[in-house]
Amino acid sequence: MPAAREVSVQLTVNGAARAATVPARTLLVHFLRDQLRLTGSHVGCDTTQCGACTVALDGVAVKSCTVLAAQADGHEVTTIEGLTGENGTSQHGAGALHPVQQAFQDEHALQCGYCTPGMVMAVRQLIADHPSPTEDEVRHALSGNICRCTGYQNIVAAVLRAANLEG
Amino acid sequence: MFPADFAYARARSLDEALDLLDEAAAAGEEAKLIAGGQSLLPMMKLRLAAPQVLIDIADLEELRGGDWTARGSGFDVLIGALTTYRQLARDPFFGEGLPDEHSGIVPAMTDALAVLADPQVRARGTIGGAVAHGDPAADLPAVLMALNAQVVMASHKGEREMPLDDFLQGIYTTDLAEDEVVTHVRISSPDARGSAYEKFPHPASHLPLAGVCAVVRLSDGRIDGAEVAVTGISPRPYRARVTEQLLTGAAPAPDTLKAAAAQVTRLPDGQEASLLGDQHASAPYRAHLAEVLTRRALARAIARADAA
Repeated sequence: MPAAREVSVQLTVNGAARAATVPARTLLVHFLRDQLRLTGSHVGCDTTQCGACTVALDGVAVKSCTVLAAQADGHEVTTIEGLTGENGTSQHGAGALHPVQQAFQDEHALQCGYCTPGMVMAVRQLIADHPSPTEDEVRHALSGNICRCTGYQNIVAAVLRAANLEG
Repeated sequence: MFPADFAYARARSLDEALDLLDEAAAAGEEAKLIAGGQSLLPMMKLRLAAPQVLIDIADLEELRGGDWTARGSGFDVLIGALTTYRQLARDPFFGEGLPDEHSGIVPAMTDALAVLADPQVRARGTIGGAVAHGDPAADLPAVLMALNAQVVMASHKGEREMPLDDFLQGIYTTDLAEDEVVTHVRISSPDARGSAYEKFPHPASHLPLAGVCAVVRLSDGRIDGAEVAVTGISPRPYRARVTEQLLTGAAPAPDTLKAAAAQVTRLPDGQEASLLGDQHASAPYRAHLAEVLTRRALARAIARADAA
């Protein structure tokens, strides 16, 4: 396959097959926001530090500002928009919030809300890896997500609540 | 913020990746390999790097897997270049978990994999990238260097292997030729149970302003052998061989460790190592951090060697 400035990408986003031809330099977060209009993944620092753009790539949380859309070709992406569907038809009822989202609401774990989608996606990974984390482990595992409002206290409380809800 | 325009190709095999490298060279175009892209893409977005061709090697089966062999307390491990930090951290060989759960055979590796960047970056970043990028402030090269790492490379001319200590040359500069791909990293040690990695991170980037890995073996109450490697303070990670010599054969007493750590920037020829400073930390401050971290890493490594 020769190198090309335009690449065709086919990926599964929140369970649906999506295909497009994009410039090779297109970042995954821009593809999600500008092409698919999934604007829940935010561009914060744009330098791989703040985590507002966190999505799951093949089920693992990554920073979508530091992945090319071309690299995601053939892979599965889950964004914040895909979380309600994950649990929507279970005991939580249709369209119900994901347990992590519910815990964020219950603990008022957001102020301006900008970092929230990335926080939720990172917390989902944290609980998948460590179902019963200690407070210390929660703080350590969120080192890739920055809350500009500095509202970490309630975020940590929400993570511990979510771990209990899911456990 | 996005990278300058480039042409992209995803290689399906090592042969195809090498062909693509040769084609770019023949066309006079600068080509870069991309796997996780966690160091390269940020540099491309800041336009500090602007390759004309990007060759994606993430699908190359030849760069996966490895050969995990332990012999008693020693080991010899061949790690595929595409192995991510997350995969390494979850591998039973290196121990899984967050800090202070050091169940692995190489606790310094467990230390580094828990404090390197952040979980999302660790899910994409690869061990091959950690060595091929030549970043003067990367965590893992210090640990790999203390574990006598060898870099395995392939080109159409064949395969070659060289010590990481020779492979790393300077800031973002390595011995990797334009037609070569890093395929594996080999680490080995007679016994690394007494090892530790200590870093002083920049609070935002998590990069080490200084990072030190110490491996210590004890025998009859004396230090039988030691490897100490430093990152973040010099144009390339280096082995503190003067410190290692001062430790070897000595009793692991606080005064000995302090005296050895004080020589961590001294090179065997008597000169001081070339030191880096920037707006985050001056060169003398980084050297000071390296000395303090060497003392801490040695103390933890010795405590672990005692417990092993």
